[in-house]
Amino acid sequence: MSQLLQIENLHAEVAGKEILKGLDLAVNAGEVHAIMGPNGAGKSTLSKVLAGAEDYVVTAGTIRYQGRDLAALSAEQRAAHGIFMGFQYPVEIPGVSNMMFLKAALNAQRKERGEPELDAGDFLAWVRHRVKQMKMDPAMLSRGVNQGFSGGEKKRNEILQMLVLEPRLMVLDETDSGLDIDALKIVADGINAMRSPERATILVTHYQRLLDHVQPDVVHVLAAGRIVKSGGPELARELEEKGYGWLQQAA
Amino acid sequence: MTIHASYGEAFERFAAALPATERAARAAAFDTFAQRGLPDDGIERWHYTNLQPFAAQPVHLALATAAPDLSAWRLDGCDEHVWINGRALNDAAAPAPLPSLDAHAGLAGLHRAFATPGLQLTVPRDVRLDRPLHVLSVSDAREAGEMFHLAHRIRLERGAQALLIVQNIGLPGATRFSTQSLSIELAEGAQLTLVRVQDEARGTTHWLQTAADVGRDARLDVVNVDLPCETADPIPGEAAAAKASGTLIRSDWRVKLAAPGAHAELSGLFGADGRVHLDNQYEIDHAAPHGTSRQWFRGLGFGPSQAILNGRVVVQRGAQKTDSEQRIANLMLAKGAEIDAKPELEIYADDVKCAHGASCGQLDDAAVFYLRARGVPEAQARALLIYSFINDVLARVPHVALRLRLARRITARLGAGLDLSEATLSGAAA
Ligand SMILES: Nc1ncnc2c1ncn2[C@@H]1O[C@H](COP(=O)(O)OP(=O)(O)OP(=O)(O)O)[C@@H](O)[C@H]1O
Ligand SMILES: [Mg+2]
Repeated sequence: MSQLLQIENLHAEVAGKEILKGLDLAVNAGEVHAIMGPNGAGKSTLSKVLAGAEDYVVTAGTIRYQGRDLAALSAEQRAAHGIFMGFQYPVEIPGVSNMMFLKAALNAQRKERGEPELDAGDFLAWVRHRVKQMKMDPAMLSRGVNQGFSGGEKKRNEILQMLVLEPRLMVLDETDSGLDIDALKIVADGINAMRSPERATILVTHYQRLLDHVQPDVVHVLAAGRIVKSGGPELARELEEKGYGWLQQAA
Repeated sequence: MTIHASYGEAFERFAAALPATERAARAAAFDTFAQRGLPDDGIERWHYTNLQPFAAQPVHLALATAAPDLSAWRLDGCDEHVWINGRALNDAAAPAPLPSLDAHAGLAGLHRAFATPGLQLTVPRDVRLDRPLHVLSVSDAREAGEMFHLAHRIRLERGAQALLIVQNIGLPGATRFSTQSLSIELAEGAQLTLVRVQDEARGTTHWLQTAADVGRDARLDVVNVDLPCETADPIPGEAAAAKASGTLIRSDWRVKLAAPGAHAELSGLFGADGRVHLDNQYEIDHAAPHGTSRQWFRGLGFGPSQAILNGRVVVQRGAQKTDSEQRIANLMLAKGAEIDAKPELEIYADDVKCAHGASCGQLDDAAVFYLRARGVPEAQARALLIYSFINDVLARVPHVALRLRLARRITARLGAGLDLSEATLSGAAA
């Protein structure tokens, strides 16, 4: 099994404050990893560092993705190379239709990879198929990006974008939060549809219920900026029962 | 007050061609101009814009030129009315009443003295024009200092409805000076949508005054697109003087809600860059009860330059139950950009609702990152967000092809090719 992502001794800060304090994580292609942990532990920070947010500064350590150093790549290059982050808080962009947004994103990625842009007809078919898969109303395509969407609709839209862009490493930051039971199932189906031997998924979550639908291979606990424990799927259930207190004491 | 002798010479030539019956009024107007001159920055409303220097420069009446190729501006499905250097291409040049304008007596005098008839439109009672009217006023100056003055008059009778697109197009060439007036009268229940697109050439000094009277339960919608969209590259055929000199566009908008239940909705996009000075002065006069007005303005600071917006709302005594709202938002895109946007409220009635707010900001970093994280390069991400910012106003342009053209032009101005098509426009059917 080839290693897709390898993080060693990662230190990162935001606004001058160190959040990640020596984090190690290795993810193989084909795997699903869940990352759980208390509020403020640094889970979103890790996601944003992976996606290339510039206000999150790596001060030490390395991140290798597909064997190359990620530090050299801008956020948009990372996206083109297959890194997708599902935002904990997706941004609203009124007036820019989902259609315009998806087209700009997909074609920019294809261009960066040296692939031809999709023509309008192929693109429309590509997107519509996935809108259906996510059981969304096709009319959403002409609405502004996340404009007036409910919390759950925004999360569903994140997964739609993921399906359209077909990334290789998916980092989904609390994509399950705020979803009702039906939406959770649809989102989980979307994530499972993307599972393949070449791809890997990191699920940042607080809840077991997503993991009931998307079986993780490994579960990690992130606390105070580090991975303090890793285990199998049973660890998630244990955490749900006992909380994080016992681990933080151990760490 | 120094006024260059060439104004007088131009007037003599102009007046000689007028019917005798018109001459007295024109001469009186010219006298007012000669006495009062052009506004200087000592006057409050002209604080940022000084036209005085133009009074001291030589001018002459714009020459007649052949009709240019207008295909780049043509809009499908519209009735087209074209003026070139103030001369009608396809409209009968019937004598028209002189407009009464109040932005500045001397400037109004100049306009009245030289005005040639523009669109003279009356829409009869309960008639709804099913095709938009597209007015193109083209300026084609070959020699420095050419001037023309054009007066439009629009009257919608009771219950009439129309969509009017007024576009000012400057062909590259020499420096020029033009004025334009739009006198609008909306009778009871009439509805007019007016889209104004300012597309003047470099080296232009232009003054526009719109004066609208909105009657009982009538409605006026204005979308004013006042943005420099020219490229920085030299334009073939452009004279050195025009290239070197700036562009000055001043617009005065007076909307009077003259009878109960009148409604006005003004929205505008404005922004200046290094070569363009823009000044928009809006005034809504609530002169009767139960009037409602809405104003939405979006300013873009492209580069080291100054753009001015003054939004004045007056609520007269007795204009009870007035409901007025004004929102101004500015986006600063470059160092040295300056936008002076000022709301002004004058309220003489006590039972009214007046809200206003102005904000000034930069692009939201979180939104830029969201787009980049999806693979959109930074420049294009910024262009999309600027598009998002202006879309509130653009979406009010009821003619879809024009809206699309404006969107393309503005985003092209930002230097990042966005793939805009009707299908990707927000609100269009997917
Ligand atoms: N832009 C920022 N500026 C200042 N502090 C920040 C910023 N982003 C994150 N932090 C701080 O970093 C710490 C870690 O935040 P992070 O969002 O990574 O936590 P999290 O593990 O995702 O928590 P949650 O479970 O609540 O989503 C918190 O103390 C947070 O306040
Ligand atoms: Mg978080």
